[in-house]
Amino acid sequence: MTGAAAEPAVVDAPGGTNHTPGAGRIAAAFGRARAAGRAALIPYVVAGYPDAETSLAIALAAADAGADLLEVGLPYSDPLADGATLQRASAVALRAGATFDRSVELVGRIAAARPDLPIVPMAYANQVIGGGDGSEVAGRLAEAGAAGVIVADLTPDEGSPFEAVASAVGLAVVYLVAPTTPPERRALVAGRTGGFLYCVSLVGVTGARAALPRSVGRLVGEVTAVSPVPVAVGFGVSRPVHVRAIVEAGAGGVIVASALVDALGPDGRDIDAMAALVRDLAAATALP
Amino acid sequence: MTVDARTRRTSRTGRNVLDEIAARRRADVRSLAVSLTSLIGTAVDAIAATPPPRPVVERLAAPGLHLIAELKRRSPSAGAIATDGDDLVARARAYEAGGAAAISVLVEPHWFGGSIDDLRAVRAAVSVPVLAKEFVVDALQLPLLRAAGADVVLLLAALHRPKELGRLVEQALRIGLEPLVEAHDEREVRAAVATDARLIGLNNRDLRTLEVDTERAVRLRPLVPDDRLVVAESGVRDAATIAAWRAAGFDAALVGETLVRAPDPAAAARSFVAAGAHPGDLANRANEALVKICGIVDADGAGAAVRAGADAIGLNLVPGTPRALPAEEATALARLVREIAPADRRPRIVLVTVDRTTDDINALARAIGADAIQLSGDEPVSVLDGLVRPAWKALHLPAEGVAAPTATGAAAADEISARARAWLAAGAERILLDTAGGPHPGGTGVRAAVDLAAAVARDVPVVLAGGLTPATVGPALREIPAVGVDVASGVERLGPRKDGERPRKDPLRLALFAKRARAARTDRPNLAVRPAPIAPGLLEADARGRWGTAREFGGRYVPETLMAALEQLERAYADLRNDPRFWAELRTLLERYAGRPTPLYRADHLAELALAAARTLATAAGRPDVVPARLRLYLKREDLAHTGAHKINNALGQALLTRRLGKTRVIAETGAGQHGVATATACALLGLPCVVYMGAEDIERQQPNVLRMRALGAEVRSVTSGTATLKDAINDAMRDWVTNVETTHYVLGSAMGPHPYPTIVRDLQRRIGDEAAVQVQADEGRLPDLVLACVGGGSNAIGLLDRFIGEPSVRLAVAEAAGDGIATGRHAAALAGGSPGILHGARSLMLQDRDGQVLEAHSASAGLDYPGVGPQISALYAAGRLEIAAATDADAFAAMQDVTRAEGILPALETAHAFAVLPRFLAGFEGSGAPLPAETVVLVGLSGRGDKDLASFGRWRDAHPEAAE
Repeated sequence: MTGAAAEPAVVDAPGGTNHTPGAGRIAAAFGRARAAGRAALIPYVVAGYPDAETSLAIALAAADAGADLLEVGLPYSDPLADGATLQRASAVALRAGATFDRSVELVGRIAAARPDLPIVPMAYANQVIGGGDGSEVAGRLAEAGAAGVIVADLTPDEGSPFEAVASAVGLAVVYLVAPTTPPERRALVAGRTGGFLYCVSLVGVTGARAALPRSVGRLVGEVTAVSPVPVAVGFGVSRPVHVRAIVEAGAGGVIVASALVDALGPDGRDIDAMAALVRDLAAATALP
Repeated sequence: MTVDARTRRTSRTGRNVLDEIAARRRADVRSLAVSLTSLIGTAVDAIAATPPPRPVVERLAAPGLHLIAELKRRSPSAGAIATDGDDLVARARAYEAGGAAAISVLVEPHWFGGSIDDLRAVRAAVSVPVLAKEFVVDALQLPLLRAAGADVVLLLAALHRPKELGRLVEQALRIGLEPLVEAHDEREVRAAVATDARLIGLNNRDLRTLEVDTERAVRLRPLVPDDRLVVAESGVRDAATIAAWRAAGFDAALVGETLVRAPDPAAAARSFVAAGAHPGDLANRANEALVKICGIVDADGAGAAVRAGADAIGLNLVPGTPRALPAEEATALARLVREIAPADRRPRIVLVTVDRTTDDINALARAIGADAIQLSGDEPVSVLDGLVRPAWKALHLPAEGVAAPTATGAAAADEISARARAWLAAGAERILLDTAGGPHPGGTGVRAAVDLAAAVARDVPVVLAGGLTPATVGPALREIPAVGVDVASGVERLGPRKDGERPRKDPLRLALFAKRARAARTDRPNLAVRPAPIAPGLLEADARGRWGTAREFGGRYVPETLMAALEQLERAYADLRNDPRFWAELRTLLERYAGRPTPLYRADHLAELALAAARTLATAAGRPDVVPARLRLYLKREDLAHTGAHKINNALGQALLTRRLGKTRVIAETGAGQHGVATATACALLGLPCVVYMGAEDIERQQPNVLRMRALGAEVRSVTSGTATLKDAINDAMRDWVTNVETTHYVLGSAMGPHPYPTIVRDLQRRIGDEAAVQVQADEGRLPDLVLACVGGGSNAIGLLDRFIGEPSVRLAVAEAAGDGIATGRHAAALAGGSPGILHGARSLMLQDRDGQVLEAHSASAGLDYPGVGPQISALYAAGRLEIAAATDADAFAAMQDVTRAEGILPALETAHAFAVLPRFLAGFEGSGAPLPAETVVLVGLSGRGDKDLASFGRWRDAHPEAAE
């Protein structure tokens, strides 16, 4: 660290991945939902939870219950942005033998089964980049049919090298903004994200909440105003009433994760209950 | 009247107090002038009878901050202050007894109840100089104050036009009255500095509104050049304010009310005087630059240099130069210095020569009694052959035409470094780097000299010479990692000289030069102060927190939610990193509360044990001769720091940082519990609520520390996720931080995590090695051959090793935890068995599988049971600068027993890993495998005490009855 520490928050060349084919597929999905008078619904499933086969069934059920895009979480040993539900699901999946190879296989099978559904895996930086530049992981995800990737602990500040390798294989790198992101930084992050901008609804980790913070409406409005791409809101979103509030605030999409895992029940196999929740949430996505 | 009506400020009551007092004083002077004309003869007599002024400036130019204690009966801001009008004299004596360097007496009658009689009475009662605190509106007042005995007079810049102020200063100086010109904003400072005043006062109080801004004086301080003496005024809460002012570069503090209200004035004065003393602790002293005063030509100059505490004085024997001395005069001056200097602080006498032969130099050195010879000409290196005294070689930077940041500049620096190394290799004791144009920041040509000098000084140890003055030596020493400074003309009397007269030293400028040079790096532990010829990426992170020769480690990989907090932390820490006030406050805490400096102990019994074990190993391998004949083994006793480990250094620093960040809650993770205990302790001290995350497994094996944390008022939260150890405690602490980031500071315990944590923790721990280097040097006269620490995340290791990274003669080593053995896969050796990856916010070496899943670490030692290691340690290892070894659980328990039995010191199980691998280093089995010298000096970091491990130690002994014998 040098004396001149206070550098601009977001660094490196402009760039980003919004020009990639993956970003194009994501944008098209948001566009289709919008044309249908809805915000996009993005359910999240944990690859390999509770086991490989069941997770494929869960993914397809979620897709068919009203998903416009699908987020596939790659289980990780140290998911520090995740709350209790996703920590547990991750641990169960890993114990059940989840590996990167199997996750890629899962993405491939979902993509083959639902070719129009953009799939966006979500992972942690060490799974994607680790000690290298992430080109191998990006290549394999793209090859399996993923449209983009979300890295929970990667920000544009460290993201340039990975954006470059992701771009090379047509993959969008989706960044997040949070309530703690200062206004001037939001625009910079929005300028670098690919396909859509992930807006974290609350200050905290993932996990279903009874209520979202009251400030979420204003946050969504402000973020939407500075974002050149659709804004999807996640973290804590678990009920139709949350979805309606977020859509009313102007979001282009909503992301639901922990609530769906909770709906699967303790053994992770109650696919019907999960699908029912997806349908309820989808019904709440109508644009005002 | 100079206060512009438009800018005039008034108090809340709408009055401008300063204007009122000044107007009244003008009226007083007018009536006084009428009566004076009839009394003129008496006044002249009075002045003639006045005792000579007591010198004040040289006293204030002595190291540290000095107390000017003020007496006043009442004030417009505080009302009546003194309870008994008659005790002024007694109080003045008490202040003097308490060590005040001067006494200030309020003379103004209407608002402050003072009088010239008060001044006279106090002056007669004390032997220190007296400051007349008066509202001088007319030059007429000056001789009257002098006649009453005043040695110093206050002049308010706010009351006069700049020219008028300059004239008053001149008039005061002419009659032996030392003016203290007081300013309270930028404009006034500029006016004050434009005068010849040697004393500049910076007042926190706005005299127009009487409001105090406690940061004002510190804010204005950089506007006053360092060749003036600077006095801070108003707003003293307690002795801590004095210490902060000393750190901020003030020479004196004017303290009134706070002292007057003290029940025991002498004791109060004494505590303030102590708080202002120049800190002479080990870590600070090691960073001080050597001071050489060159070109002494007479006894006065020699005396001034001795009084200023010069480390060396130069006597010039170069014919035809202005300061040249005949041999007899040089001999006499050398003898004088020997007579008057205290034996333990005698300056070395250096003869300055140009292009003489070896024989010629030897003859001179013997005749004059020199301690060293300076070679300032174009001598060949061979001149050193047969020289009877150590040689100081002067090398010259190109004076002109070197554009700094260009390849030419770099090439010039390389060329000079190469020459310096050649001289040092041939036996020269020191290199003087003459920067000719002056190495101080300023014009563009001069800037080039700074960059060039800094480049050379990063490479080889140099004493900086050429163009330095009291005003420039501080900035130069902060910018250039020179080990010393040399000055000649910069401390000489100003003004014209008669033909043939030699330039003479000015005692005040000389004293001030020495003071500024010594204080330049005080309480700035993060400045580069000596050469470190190694890749910069191993010493400091770049602006993005990257370490390593290719900047391949470190960085900031965190969820977006934390980015703002990390940026806030980075900005706040960038401000504090070189703020001597912060480090002075922390140092005081570390000394008075935490027990620093910790001792360095030479463990002879343990050394014998280690040597014996090494011989057995080496003999079995058929090479017994690689083991050193003798080993002097030094233990840096961090176990004796408060709370029993090095962790307190970081916890106290980050607790102070929490306060500066304006956060109100602290969280921490802990493995062995030592960091948790240290953080809980710091939070108890500073009144901060504290939550400590601890793995359920660690809670089980470190019960005593859990109880201590709870006793300290901390909440210990059990972490059951993942492996339920340190790694998961960090995950949960980060989740808490993500959730409560707006109110909470995360006190990370190791030199790891997202930028700027690795830098912060290293900076707070580097004191271990800074102290140890001085301590080993004191015992051995040199640095150790090998420095060894245990490593988990790496805070104790980097704290000990950092000081030695740039020392090519010192081998650096760490001991990792091998758990059941590295081959079993059940270990915590992230360096030996890991690969680059991203863990807890930074890229470093870590244990992981091919999918990037973090592997579980295994070690009986909770503090090392972590699958990663910080980025700087990773970078050092990747660059080949750090040697590694690993000890199994069994090795560590056995070593724990050996150390305890041999030395009566129960080390922490973590620390025991370092002792376990020592014999293997001595036998050449570990690290580079290179044999250590026959006389080997090893420094081991004894990072913590082992009480917390007694239960697991006991279980191990029960399981290994044979080892317990």
